[in-house]
Amino acid sequence: MWDYIAERHAQLLYQSYQHLSLVIQCVLLATVLAVGLAVFVHRNPRIAALAGGVSAIGLTIPSFALLGLLIPLAGIGTATSVIAVTFYATLPILRNAVVGLAGVDSTLIESARGMGMGAVRTLLRVELPLAWPVILAGVRVSAQMSMGIAAIAAYVLGPGLGSFIFTGLTQIGGKNALNSALVGTLGVVLLALILDALLLLAGRLTTSRGIRV
Amino acid sequence: MSDNTNETEVSGVDIDLIDVVKRYPGQKRAAVEGLSLHIPAGEIVMFVGPSGCGKTTSLKMINRLIAPTSGTIRIGGEEIGKQDDDDLRRRIGYVIQGGSLFPHMTVTQNIALVPGLLGWDKRRTAERVDELLELVGLDPARYRGRYPRELSGGQQQRVGVARGLAADPPVILMDEPFGAVDPITRQRLQDELLSIQEELRKTIVCVTHDFDEAVKLGDRILILTEGANIAQYDVPEAILANPADRFVADFVGAGAALKQLTLSRVSEIDLGRPTVAQIGDSAADVLRAAQSAGDDSVVILDAKRRPVDWMWTRDLLDLDRVPAPHDDTDLVTIDRRATLNDALDTMLVSSHGSAVVTGRRDEYLGVVDFQAVLTRIQDTHDEHHGVPDPEAVA
Amino acid sequence: MTTVDRGPDTSRENVADAKAAAAGLASSRKRRPGWRLLLGQPLFVAVVVIAWAIWRSQADLDSIEKRQLDWTLLGRLTLEHLKLTVVATVIVLAIAVPLGIALTRPRLRRAAPLVVAFANAGQAAPVIGLIVLLAIWLGFGFWTAILALCLYAILPVLRNTIVGLQGVDPTLVEAGRGMGMSNRSVLGRIELPLAVPVIMAGIRTALVLVVGTATLATFIDAGGLGGLITTGIRLLRYPVLISGAILVAALALLIDWAGRVLEEVTRPRGLE
Repeated sequence: MWDYIAERHAQLLYQSYQHLSLVIQCVLLATVLAVGLAVFVHRNPRIAALAGGVSAIGLTIPSFALLGLLIPLAGIGTATSVIAVTFYATLPILRNAVVGLAGVDSTLIESARGMGMGAVRTLLRVELPLAWPVILAGVRVSAQMSMGIAAIAAYVLGPGLGSFIFTGLTQIGGKNALNSALVGTLGVVLLALILDALLLLAGRLTTSRGIRV
Repeated sequence: MSDNTNETEVSGVDIDLIDVVKRYPGQKRAAVEGLSLHIPAGEIVMFVGPSGCGKTTSLKMINRLIAPTSGTIRIGGEEIGKQDDDDLRRRIGYVIQGGSLFPHMTVTQNIALVPGLLGWDKRRTAERVDELLELVGLDPARYRGRYPRELSGGQQQRVGVARGLAADPPVILMDEPFGAVDPITRQRLQDELLSIQEELRKTIVCVTHDFDEAVKLGDRILILTEGANIAQYDVPEAILANPADRFVADFVGAGAALKQLTLSRVSEIDLGRPTVAQIGDSAADVLRAAQSAGDDSVVILDAKRRPVDWMWTRDLLDLDRVPAPHDDTDLVTIDRRATLNDALDTMLVSSHGSAVVTGRRDEYLGVVDFQAVLTRIQDTHDEHHGVPDPEAVA
Repeated sequence: MTTVDRGPDTSRENVADAKAAAAGLASSRKRRPGWRLLLGQPLFVAVVVIAWAIWRSQADLDSIEKRQLDWTLLGRLTLEHLKLTVVATVIVLAIAVPLGIALTRPRLRRAAPLVVAFANAGQAAPVIGLIVLLAIWLGFGFWTAILALCLYAILPVLRNTIVGLQGVDPTLVEAGRGMGMSNRSVLGRIELPLAVPVIMAGIRTALVLVVGTATLATFIDAGGLGGLITTGIRLLRYPVLISGAILVAALALLIDWAGRVLEEVTRPRGLE
C-alpha cells in the first residue's frame, strides 16, 4: 500500500485537497444559509417547528437519490456535487440553530432590549453568541456527513477522494483495487478527523469563555 | 409519639440488628460501624442524622438492598441473611421518596406488583387494590386505572404507601417517604400514615432528614452520627427534654421547648361541635337546627360521614335541600393526629378561622378553633416551663 | 446523544453517525411528531408515487427506458430493496439490543464506553468505502451488502439501547429490587419498557440509515432501487434516473414513517 501511495501521492494530495475544499466550502455556505434561515423563522414557533420537520424529512432522503434528481438539472460533475453536499449540510445546522436560538433565555433578550439594544444588535450580541455552541455542534455533524456524501458524489464525477473508492470498485480483481479503495476510505476518515479537530478549535476560539463547557 | 394503647392488634414483628457493619471497598471508614438496635413490633422508628451518617445504608440492610459486611439482622426472630433475598423483600413493604411509582404501569398495576409476585389470584389482588386505595384516601373507581403522571405528587405518594402495604407485610421500610411533596401535603400524608398505623400496627422503620417529621411520626427516634453510631435512641419526649449530648442538642436545634408543640395533637383538644347536615337534607330543617344551636355555619357531610363542605347558613336560605359541594370547594380538613402547629397553619387559610377535624378514614369529628389551640399552647408552655433549655445542657 | 431525547446534540460521539442520526434526533426530541406529520408523510408519498405512476403509464419511452421501467422489474427492485432493509435491520436488532443490555449489566458495564467508541469509529468511515472494501474482501452479493449495512447501522441501536437503559431512574430499579423482583424481572418489567422510547428512536434511525444506504447495494450487485439510478446515469436516460430517485426517496420516507408509527405504537402508555 505504501508503494501505491508513494506512486500516486500527487494525485492523492490533490484529491484530498479537493475533497476537503469541497466539504469546507459547502459547510460554510450551509452554515450561512441555515443560520440565516433559523434567524428568519425562530421567532415564529410554528414555522420553526416546520423547519425542524423539513430538516428531519430532508435527511431521510437517500443522498444517492438526490444526486440522481440533480443530474438533469445540474449535469454530471462538480455542480451536482456541491448542491447535494450543501443541501444535506444545511439540515443539521438549521435544526440545531432553531433549537439553539429557541433555547436562549427570554429574560436575557428582554434585558438586552431593555438596555436599548435594537433587534439586530440583540441578535448579534446576545442571541447568536449564546446559541453558538449548539449551532457549532450542528456544524460538526454536518461536516462529518458531508465527508461521506462527497465520497458518494464522486460517482457522478464530483471532486475528491471518492474517486479512489470507485476506482477500486471498477478494478476489482486487479492488483490495485484494494489499495485504491483503502486509500480512498482511510483518506476520508483522516480528513474527517482533521476537519472535526479544526472545528473544535474554531469552537474554542469563537465561543465565549463564559458559556464554554 | 409513644402511643401504646393496644386498641388494635399489633401486626408488626420485632427487628433486631446485632453489631451490623457495612464497609465499602476502598473506603477507610466503615459506612456503618457496628450498629446494634432493637425495634419493637408495631412501632414507628425514625432514623435521623446528618447526611452521610449511614441512616439510609442501615435501612437498606434490613431488606438486603445492601448486604451487610458482618453482623446479624433478625426480623421476627428469623435471621434474614439465611433467606432468599427476593422472598425476604416480598415480605417487607418498601416506600420511597416521591412514591417511585413505575410510570408505565397504572395505579392498579403498581399496587398489584408484589401480590402478583407472591402468586395471589386476580380476584383477591383486585379486592386488595381497592381496599388499599380506600385506606390511603383515593377513590378506587376514579384512580385505579390512572397512570402515575396523571396523579399529583401527594396522590403518587399515597399510591406509593399503598404499594408498600400491598401484600400486608409485617414490616415496612420508608426512605424519606414524604420528602418530595409540599409542606401542606406532607402534613396530610403524615397524618394519614399515623391513622393507617393506628389501624394496622405494623413495624415501620423510616429514614428522614427532617427532625420535626421524626418527632411527629416516631414512637422512637434513632439519632445517628457518622458511621451510624447511635447518639441517642429514645422516645421523642425524652430526646427533646434530655438530649444525650451536644450533638443531639445541636441536631434537635433551638427552640426544643417550642417543638414540644409538635407533640401535642388536635385529638388532645376539646373539639367544637357545630351543626352538621348531610347532603340532601332539607335546608329548612338544617337552618332551624343551626339557629337553635346559635351557629352561623353548618358542616356538610357525605354518606360516609366525611366532611365535604362548610357552608354559611345565609347561603342555605334560598335553597330547598343541602347541595352537594362544587368540585372546586377547597375544604381543608385536619386529621385528629395533626399537631397543633399543623392546626394553626390550616386555620390561617380557612375562611371560618377554625378547622374541620377528621378521624379514621376521614370521618368527621368536630371543629377546632383558635381559642382552643391557644389555650392548649398556654398549657403546654406551663407544663414544660421547668424543662431545661437543651442548649444549656451541653 | 444524538438519537436520544436529549435536545440538541453537543457531544463528540454525535458527530459520528452524522446523517441519519441527525434525522433521528429531530423527531425524537421532547415534542413528538403530531398526527399531522404521521398522516401527512404517507399522504405526501402516496401523491408523489401516484403522480409518478400516471406519468409512467402515459410517458413516451424508448425501448431501453421501457425495459428498465417495466412494472415487474420495478416491483422486484422494490422488494429487493425492502428485503435488504428488513434483513439488515432485523440482524442489527438481534445483535445490538442484547449487546446493549449486556453492556449495562454490572459485569460488563465498564466495557460499554469502549464498545461505543469502537462502534463510533466504524461509523466515521464513508459508507461507500465500507461497501467496496467488504466487496473486495468477501465478493459481491446480497450478504456482503447486508454485512456492510449492519456494520453501519448497529451503532444507533446499540448506543440508544445503552443510553435508554442507563437513563432509567435508578430509584425505580431499586424500588423493584426492594419489592422483591428478581434482576431478570426488573429488566423485563421495568427497565426495558421504560427504555423502549429511546431504543425505538435508535431503531428508526437505523431503519432510515439502512434504507438510504441500501441504495448503494447495487454497486456490488446486491440489488435494490439504486440500480435504476446507476443505470440512468450510465445510459444517460433521465426518465430512468428520475424514476429511480423518486422511488428510492418515496420508499425511504415510507420506511421513516413506519418507524415513526412503530415508535408511537410501542411507547408504553403512561409515559408522556
